[in-house]
Amino acid sequence: MIEYNKRNIRTWSLLGPSGAHGTAVMELAETNPDVLILTADLCFFSGLERFKTAYPDKLYNVGIAEQNMIGVAAGLAKEGFIPFANTYASFCASRCADQVRVNMAYMGLPIKLIGLTAGYGAGVLGATHVSIEDISLMRALPNITVISPADCTEIIKAILAAAETSDPTYIRLTGPMNMPIVYKEDYNFAIGKAVTIQKGYDVAIIATGSMVAQAQKAAKLLEADGVKCSVINMHTIKPIDSDAILEANENHKLLVTAEEHNVIGGLYGAVAEVLCKEGVHKPVLSIGINDFFAHAGSYSYQLDISELTAESMKKKILSAIN
Amino acid sequence: MTNLEKYNNAFIETFEITEDQLVGLKYQDIEAWDSVGHMGLVAALEDTFDIMMDTDDIIDFSSYEKGKEILSKEDYGVKF
Repeated sequence: MIEYNKRNIRTWSLLGPSGAHGTAVMELAETNPDVLILTADLCFFSGLERFKTAYPDKLYNVGIAEQNMIGVAAGLAKEGFIPFANTYASFCASRCADQVRVNMAYMGLPIKLIGLTAGYGAGVLGATHVSIEDISLMRALPNITVISPADCTEIIKAILAAAETSDPTYIRLTGPMNMPIVYKEDYNFAIGKAVTIQKGYDVAIIATGSMVAQAQKAAKLLEADGVKCSVINMHTIKPIDSDAILEANENHKLLVTAEEHNVIGGLYGAVAEVLCKEGVHKPVLSIGINDFFAHAGSYSYQLDISELTAESMKKKILSAIN
Repeated sequence: MTNLEKYNNAFIETFEITEDQLVGLKYQDIEAWDSVGHMGLVAALEDTFDIMMDTDDIIDFSSYEKGKEILSKEDYGVKF
């Protein structure tokens, strides 16, 4: 049984998203006999070092054959298993688009697809491994739940929660090793239910994935300028928590979306769709990757040139409200 | 409890080993000190000594002895 204590939370943070993934599936293997794991040649990279030793009969490494992995996962799901398949997020979404569309979206098979190194997590490998469009592609497919956890603790909670549903689910993992900790202790996680991390009354920052921690830092910086921010962790992009968005619209002067994803089709789009149905709404500032491929480089470099740091967020918000 | 005892306990509790195994113990000498165990050890030491370790030091922490050397640095100030 996983314990959400200070030491474990720090350990998961140090391990990073892949290590947290490995921790979560170890827990699943111990508690749910139907869970099987598939990977496309990323056994250790996806945090499965201990899993491979402990449960070799529950792990299938299909090699560098991501599309085939989805087909194998579909077959296992048809036989009653709960397959968790992982590869780079860029391969989950674009390379496997047809297999995901048919097997997960159309057939509704309960495959749980884990997108590793989403956003700039593998940016050092260049544009082929960067994933800035996966939310957009996945949320356009009917029936697929799309989750983007804020930190390593939430990654574990999201994976455990996904195993409890029969929905096809995509979980994108953003952030580096030694990932900032958003949740220092246990909390309630429910798919489709946003979490308000802090309350202000000027600006509501609706963030997802790694940008939640940046939003927290930006809110702290803005407080020094007299701007009070709410920070809302929108960990589930689909189905989106419309109530949380409408409440934020009601109680703030400016809404901000923050995502390690293209500004087109991601969280901003999802929030805007909810607001447009309401007619009149507050201005919405979109903070994300401004529709370009960054040069290969370190995670921090790519966040910096994409203006996704807390400092950049602060400047953009101040500019928008002044 | 002395700092050495605290340091030893972090190893003993994290890896579920005995004190006589500590001297000369290196990363991956035992099954429990794998990449996951390594981060568990770092978290335990950070908690014990109320410090935050740098990434480079986490990577350099390759043995029981090397760990003492790292924690003795001015950055952390743990005296053994």
